[in-house]
Amino acid sequence: MQASTAVNLKPNLKADPNWLARRRWARAGWVYFMLILFSFVFIGPLLMGTISSLKTNPDEYPPRIFFEQLRPANWVSAFQLGTAGGGDGFLGGFRPGAKINFDVSYLVPQGITPTAPEVSVPKRRAGAGAGAFAATDYAADYAVLEPLKQTALVPANMPDGKPGQKVTYQITVNYPQNAKNLNDPTKPAPIMDRVPLDINSPNEHVYTSATLDPTRLERIFAPIASRPYPYPRVQSYDNLAPGVIGYVFRNYTRVFKETRSITTGQSLFFNWVINSFLFVILRIASTIVLASMAGYAMARLNFPFKNAFFVFVIFTMTVPGQVTFISNYLVLKDGIWGLSKLWGQQSLLNSIVGLWLIGLVGAGAVFLMKQFFETLPRELEESAKIDGASTTQTFWRVIMPLAGPALGALVITTAQGAWNEYFWALVVLANPQDIYTLPIGLNSFNRFYGSTGDYGLILAGAVFSALPVIILFIVFQRYFVEGVAFSGSKE
Amino acid sequence: MKQKYALLAAFGLLVAGAGSSLVSGQTGTTIVIGGRDGVTDTGLVNDLINKFLKPALAKDGIDVKYTPIGDYDKAIVNQLSAGTAPDVFYLPDNTAKGLVSSGKILPLNGLVSGTDFISSLNQTYTFGGKLYGIVKDFNTLATYYNKDLFDQAKVAYPNDKDDWNTFSDKLAKVQKALGTGYYGTCFPADYARFAAFAYGTGWKPTKKVTDPSFVRAFQFYTDLVKSKVAVQPSTISAGWGGDCIKSGKVATAFEGAWALGFLRDNAPNLQYGTSLIPLDPTTKRRGNLLFSVAWAINKGTKNTDAAVKVLNLLTSKAAQEYVLENGLALPSRKSLQANAYFKKSGAEPQANNTVFRGASSGNVVAFNQPPVFTDAVNEALKSVMDGTSTVDEALKRAQGKIDQIK
Amino acid sequence: MAQASSQNKQPKTFWNEKNREALAAYGFLAPFVFTIVIFFGYAFVRTIYYSFTDYDLFKTPNFVGLDNYKNILTEQLFNIALANTLLFSLIVTTLQTIGALVLAVVLNQKLRGMLFFRTAYYMPSITSSVVITLIFIWLFRPTGIFSFVLNWFGNHSSLILTFLVVGALLQAAQVMYDRSKGYPATAFDPAFLFTSVLVGLVITFILNALNIVRVGDLPAQPLNWIATREKFLGIIPYPLLVIIIQNTFTTIPTLMLFFLAGLQGVSKSLYEASSIDGATPQEQLRYITIPALRPVTFYVVTVGVIGTLQMFDQVSIFEGANAPLESTITLAFYVFKKAFDPSGLPKIGLATAGAIFLAVITTVMVMIQRRFVVSDTGS
Repeated sequence: MQASTAVNLKPNLKADPNWLARRRWARAGWVYFMLILFSFVFIGPLLMGTISSLKTNPDEYPPRIFFEQLRPANWVSAFQLGTAGGGDGFLGGFRPGAKINFDVSYLVPQGITPTAPEVSVPKRRAGAGAGAFAATDYAADYAVLEPLKQTALVPANMPDGKPGQKVTYQITVNYPQNAKNLNDPTKPAPIMDRVPLDINSPNEHVYTSATLDPTRLERIFAPIASRPYPYPRVQSYDNLAPGVIGYVFRNYTRVFKETRSITTGQSLFFNWVINSFLFVILRIASTIVLASMAGYAMARLNFPFKNAFFVFVIFTMTVPGQVTFISNYLVLKDGIWGLSKLWGQQSLLNSIVGLWLIGLVGAGAVFLMKQFFETLPRELEESAKIDGASTTQTFWRVIMPLAGPALGALVITTAQGAWNEYFWALVVLANPQDIYTLPIGLNSFNRFYGSTGDYGLILAGAVFSALPVIILFIVFQRYFVEGVAFSGSKE
Repeated sequence: MKQKYALLAAFGLLVAGAGSSLVSGQTGTTIVIGGRDGVTDTGLVNDLINKFLKPALAKDGIDVKYTPIGDYDKAIVNQLSAGTAPDVFYLPDNTAKGLVSSGKILPLNGLVSGTDFISSLNQTYTFGGKLYGIVKDFNTLATYYNKDLFDQAKVAYPNDKDDWNTFSDKLAKVQKALGTGYYGTCFPADYARFAAFAYGTGWKPTKKVTDPSFVRAFQFYTDLVKSKVAVQPSTISAGWGGDCIKSGKVATAFEGAWALGFLRDNAPNLQYGTSLIPLDPTTKRRGNLLFSVAWAINKGTKNTDAAVKVLNLLTSKAAQEYVLENGLALPSRKSLQANAYFKKSGAEPQANNTVFRGASSGNVVAFNQPPVFTDAVNEALKSVMDGTSTVDEALKRAQGKIDQIK
Repeated sequence: MAQASSQNKQPKTFWNEKNREALAAYGFLAPFVFTIVIFFGYAFVRTIYYSFTDYDLFKTPNFVGLDNYKNILTEQLFNIALANTLLFSLIVTTLQTIGALVLAVVLNQKLRGMLFFRTAYYMPSITSSVVITLIFIWLFRPTGIFSFVLNWFGNHSSLILTFLVVGALLQAAQVMYDRSKGYPATAFDPAFLFTSVLVGLVITFILNALNIVRVGDLPAQPLNWIATREKFLGIIPYPLLVIIIQNTFTTIPTLMLFFLAGLQGVSKSLYEASSIDGATPQEQLRYITIPALRPVTFYVVTVGVIGTLQMFDQVSIFEGANAPLESTITLAFYVFKKAFDPSGLPKIGLATAGAIFLAVITTVMVMIQRRFVVSDTGS
């Protein structure tokens, strides 16, 4: 390519301007094409994770891009069923007085009499987490099923093209207004989040459609010679009255509802979010003040052993945290030689404070501030000194008010680092689970649900925990970039 | 300067406030119970505490506090070393030896009577003649089978009399009848499943893995995968046997009672049954693995009497009966063998029954081999199943690794 | 700090301006020094101390000399960890440096909408290692999207090949024709590339519709890249390969920003002057851009080496996803694993010996690359 240009360039310098312009446009086109392609690569995994986190089973194969949760028809149905369940159309629910009507259709081959499916509201715990144990009321104990009504019977083709019939049944689930509370007769009948439903279809009845797409199709019968298509014997619903949010964001509601602390009964995930926020706030507070002070001292003040100290700090940044964690673990274990007893903590393990103290001021943050302070003109301090201000006064009254941009970058990078902190959180926070921060909580999801392939919960948890950082990034993009620029300009 | 003081003071307050809000005090005789934070464990133990422990202990003025511990194996070692471990806690079979060697676990001889408990279970927690744990619950492996697939293939369900040959015949027939995409069983490259077959031959973990009996079981297990009657779970994107059976495309799988909760949640309408592990056609015996977790007492507990009371209540007949009748776990007491629950119809009671019987049928060995050992066998299984090495090579390599232990 | 102010009124002989400034500096530095002395200095010394003992958290440590070092060097797991770490560090540092440089050069153009692309490209860097690793584990599951995409490419390889051949032929024809007329068309002439691609696509589509070129129907081959001991090309264990891909993916954007900052510092006049001398963009990249970016490259490589040598999070998360330990373990994780050994008592002696090893390797690697790798390139 280079050779050809070298040969051809000179004799054609007065090339046709149209020819050149066409090339410029085409080149710009390709650049944009590449840029867009790269965008897919870089946003792709997160985007796919986000979309798939809505699926009932994100691990399905082949993966679909359009699935039940994205069908507007299901949104409408979910809203209507949620309203019919007596809850609202968004979050759903099952209240006394509810009357849910529901249609399901089957294809029946010729020679077989259409028969109504067996329908039941099973007594089923929600998921595997501790939240399932906390539930005492089951829709199965209160729901009353009306006899099925055949509402339509029309000729239709079977999946293999042979003639048959399409039959539709109406299912009605009631929650009598005057139902008694079975656990405690003095209380009114309970309001429940979910109404599970199983529909067992008769032999050779091929499920085609229903008011709402089922959560899962079960007992799929393999194709045989006389019937070259598979069909499911069971259409199973986790919740017949989900509401739009309950249906589309099923995994997200599960994340909050199914993981509960056994000691307090609160949502574990919610606790983790709170812990993460607390940790981020503590970290930001200490970093802003302490890193600025240290950064200023290193940038502008002279003191003995300054160079040695500088080298030492560089060294601390080079050595991985795993090298020092055992001692730090032991130090936190006895509360920094009993220091923590001053505020009533025997040990700093399993506490956010311990996690915070271990990296009270990061060397990176100090460097960022040092880098910034070095860019400020020295005249500022000199004039302050003439006015008789001490070093401390100069710092707080003259220097800090100018540190805005650097502090912005510092806050953002610190927040990002703290929100994502994994290693030290893993070392410091072990139990109870209530004390976890989001990253290690998510990892416990991975251990818990990953082994059973329940990726819906994992992805929803992951996406949810990434949200605050993504929002922060989109709003304060400038500071992210500046943070990198400040720390990178040390060469 | 003033501003700085103010800031520092605010800072101190922040530390103190955050600190005190994250810590809670303790008063009176409180026995802390620690357990693994597991899917069913947490709810189960909490249930036991509220139903059996609290009412019984109230008159003695003993309070019980439960802390589920995440990442249990790691956490309990640290807590024992730090002296912050609970008074009564789980002692899992695979880490029991190490934990006992720390000297922080109270021997139970003379404090707790172990006579009513299944003896193979007590043995797992006996070290140097001393009993260190009372089994909380246990598991063995059972053959889970998908009735629909056998029905569609018109093949008889597996039963307790099947041996390796009749069993694999049935699987081959099912697989043939249903065609590609369907499999007879799931065989993971995992010692914790395969060993059930190896033990059937009379082989023991103290013997070499190049022992002819072991090789025979190894050959059977890997051949079935190579002939495509069995499949490795990962091949069909399943993580384990439960996933396989849930997929509806695999006729059988070997799992313990832990698969029940999973199936209830993930395939609630699956029609399945269970039978004992197939017999070795040569020895006419079956093998099985014993998975268990025990309750142990912290040597450093401030109130040994209270801790013993708690341990006795946790493993009492009433408590175990309750756990069994709710289908949560299997009891370790011999006297519960005849409980009415085991005779109930339905897939779950039947599966629990099979798993319970598994503990006393044939050669049953506790699952507490060191990870290096199981890893070596797992790798051998994997390499042969994947066709990357022959049985002889793989086992020789595995024995080499095992010899390196010590 | 309280000291500093109360002593302000002391005699001026000692309390001269220099000492006062030093004291203020120490006051300013106190919290930082507290943190790094306790949580680094003291910890580092203790790590060295423990590495010569048989401490297990329960008994009092006994001095055992160099036993721990001897033991880890002969331990298989440690050697695997060491090999994995070096492999990982080498590959990821190389990939991320090159990738970041390329991306920075692409993004360093005066085109509309560049801000959007910069934002988009930075996205992977802001999410936590846990989030992105969990997503990658999911993507690379046997029935994951990656497996699906690979299968799709496998089945469509005949179409892709047809398209490439047809496209190349078209391009060659156009370029030849243009050159014969005397225009300076390059082999990848952008305008012709457009028509080549478009016409190539249409022809491929027609050939497919006429059933001349067919889509393959290979059944889905579930990829097993997570829970496997197998190695890519017999060298890189597959789980580690996934971590390499994931890590490169998340680090490129940050490093790209360093390069972008560096690029903006390169004087425009250099490029203008060289253009007049007839330098091609490739020549400009080689003779102007890369040498000018040398200091930034040094920084990027240093950051890369330090970052990759302490890779921990992913290994820990992969462990939760049932990846075999040997296929992912790194030195950093080895240290953690030995300290919190699940199958027995903590082996603090071995863990700290491994930790010291890790510290030494990191320091040596940084020094080596400071000396040779970057400073020599381009000179």
